[in-house]
Amino acid sequence: MFYFRYLRSELVGRRTRTVLTLVGLALGVALVITISGLARGLDRAQKTALNPLSEIGTDLTVTLSPQQDTGGFGRGGGGEVVQANQSAVTDLSKLGKPGTQFVHDFFLPGTQLTFPQKQTAKIASLPGVASISNGLVLSAVHQEGVVPKIVAKIKAGGQQLDIRRQIKPPTAAEAAAIQACFQKLGVGGGPQSGTQPGGQQGFGGGRGAGGGGFFSSPAARKCLPARMREFRARITTPQQTLKQVVSPPQTNIKSSSYAIGGIDPAQQSIGLVTPSQLSRGRFFSKSGGHEALVSAAYAKRKSLKLGSMLDLNGTRFKIIGLVSPPLGGQTADVYIPLAQLQKLASQKGLANVVLVRATSSSDVARVQKEIEQTLGSGAQVASAKQVAASINGSLVDAANLSHDLGLVLAIIAAVAAFLVAALLTLSSIGKRVREIGTLKALGWSQRLVVRQVLGECLATGIAGGLVGVVLGVLAAAAIGAFGPSLSASSTTGAAGANDVLGLGQALARTASTSVSLTAPLSLSLLVFGFALALAGGLIAGGAGALRAARLRPADALRQME
Amino acid sequence: MTGDLLYDVRNATRSFRRGDATINALGGIDLAIEHGEILALVGPSGSGKTTLLQLLGALDRPTSGQVFFEGRDLNTLGDNELADLRLRGFGFVFQTFNLIPTLNALQNVEAKLAPTGVPEDELRARSLALLEEVGLSDRADHLPSQLSGGEQQRVAIARALATEPRVVLADEPTGNLDSRTGTEVVDLLTSLSEERRHTVILVTHDAEIAEKAHRSIRMQDGRLLEPTLA
Repeated sequence: MFYFRYLRSELVGRRTRTVLTLVGLALGVALVITISGLARGLDRAQKTALNPLSEIGTDLTVTLSPQQDTGGFGRGGGGEVVQANQSAVTDLSKLGKPGTQFVHDFFLPGTQLTFPQKQTAKIASLPGVASISNGLVLSAVHQEGVVPKIVAKIKAGGQQLDIRRQIKPPTAAEAAAIQACFQKLGVGGGPQSGTQPGGQQGFGGGRGAGGGGFFSSPAARKCLPARMREFRARITTPQQTLKQVVSPPQTNIKSSSYAIGGIDPAQQSIGLVTPSQLSRGRFFSKSGGHEALVSAAYAKRKSLKLGSMLDLNGTRFKIIGLVSPPLGGQTADVYIPLAQLQKLASQKGLANVVLVRATSSSDVARVQKEIEQTLGSGAQVASAKQVAASINGSLVDAANLSHDLGLVLAIIAAVAAFLVAALLTLSSIGKRVREIGTLKALGWSQRLVVRQVLGECLATGIAGGLVGVVLGVLAAAAIGAFGPSLSASSTTGAAGANDVLGLGQALARTASTSVSLTAPLSLSLLVFGFALALAGGLIAGGAGALRAARLRPADALRQME
Repeated sequence: MTGDLLYDVRNATRSFRRGDATINALGGIDLAIEHGEILALVGPSGSGKTTLLQLLGALDRPTSGQVFFEGRDLNTLGDNELADLRLRGFGFVFQTFNLIPTLNALQNVEAKLAPTGVPEDELRARSLALLEEVGLSDRADHLPSQLSGGEQQRVAIARALATEPRVVLADEPTGNLDSRTGTEVVDLLTSLSEERRHTVILVTHDAEIAEKAHRSIRMQDGRLLEPTLA
């Protein structure tokens, strides 16, 4: 068929233009496919990772927050939080003897107040409530290291004391005794000349006459009374206060924090984590022994495996399962049976989360109100939807971005692809006006000319669309293979309104999970991208060809090449 | 006039708007052309030769006046009828050859014949025969860019003759050729047309070429200078 040969010659003969149009179309199509796929991937990731809860729609989370307005400092409000978190103070002296290794986990309720489990029974009896499950979620701080030796060195002394005292001269009796002693020793000289009772003089003379050598001789010293042989006095040094900075002890204590949740192993349909969220291993046995479930993300971070042992203040828990619970307000990294956690954290009979399932989703709002009334102010009852809204992180950012921008981007890409196809086709036709004029001069009808040009556009559109689909699929596969991991995290207890004493931030619990980015494609998406390229080429080609073909041949021939 | 009258042009004018100015390319042409005639339109550039040729070839419509071809007023025909007339009734040869650059010599001839709906094998055979007549059978698969100017114009002549038209209209067919080649090309065109009893209307500014025509009409400023009696 001549027209097909002509078509082929046109496409092959104008290779550069054909390839350019084809590449433009293909890139546009690939872009549309990739962006749309990415948006779908983000949506899907968000759905699976974040809020499957919202699909249930009947679950409520009840927590109790301290109320700033219920009392002054130390009572009701901040006091409760401070009291609850008292065990946070690390008393080094209680950890062991200095130099010994210690491992300790501190369990803090954070800003969520605990309440007796008995109280939650009231919720269970409310109309419209199908079931409830108690939970205790605590912020745990894991510390380990060597108990430091605390030694303070204080330097004292070194002061100089000057003491002056008059020594009393010897009494007459003493002088006589001395005299007698000297004589007995047979010492002549000075003492002999002064035999008169003016002993004082004799003593003094001895001093003045240069008889010093005599007194210092050990023999002579024996003749002196004890009082004069040695000087004795009691001196009280002046009182003074010594100040010295004691440098803190060297320690190698490492702290890490995680969230730990206590769940009721008997209640398996609703809870902080349920058997359906197990990704590996098994769920707690109903009796609830020393077993632990670990969130998959935490296990990956800490290289924990099934069967690993967790030591919590001397109690060893065996990891029996990995879970991927949805991120919500009450997500933890480690889960152990509620009773075990209560014992470990000295929170016997206490819970701080109640998960409530309403009998039907239409009851949710009413049940929510009733619980708030039953528990009084401070009770926070959040629906799954509200919980999902509090989740943040790069996944959420990206998903929101894709939600807001994805559509816009896809539209921009689509329009760009469309425009590229249209402009390239139009310019290609613009350069062929003279050729079209020639064809018309040869006797080609308008219909025939348009058909021929459309045929070319159709061929480029199909080829460009196909290449674009392939490129898009490759790009999506590349995103799946090398795409970044997106994280999502939810923080509990850091709500500004409840941030009593500024503890909120410090005690906030954060749980996180990560999802790798993918760009899932669907047949309809590929078909859409392909159709887009085709439509762009055909519409532009049709319009351009029609315009050129409608020119009088004389006018078309006058066009410069 | 006899029944052999092919063209009857009556007071045909053609003016173009260029901005605010109106350019009168043709001012009141009266012309009769007989069947089988070889007619040369001669004149300096801008004299209106090409415009008149385009009116005769149904590539354009007159601003006023009438062009009768075989007794039919071309003004009364629609675009599709004019296209069909150009297909079967006319053959064009242009100064710049106007071959389709992506088609080879054979396909360029086929491009004229294809819309008539002849079967594929006949299309090829007839086109090849025409190329042989213009002496280019060995160049059938060459692209226009691989042919010399004279060869390209010979392909154009083969193309013009493909549908056995009643009229061959040539607009400065030698304009882009050296004089020797130009003469050869015109000789080829006239001889092939005479064989087939085609009417030939030849626009040229070359007096030597014009001499090959049965009759030549001088044009200046959109008017005919010589009496137009056939």
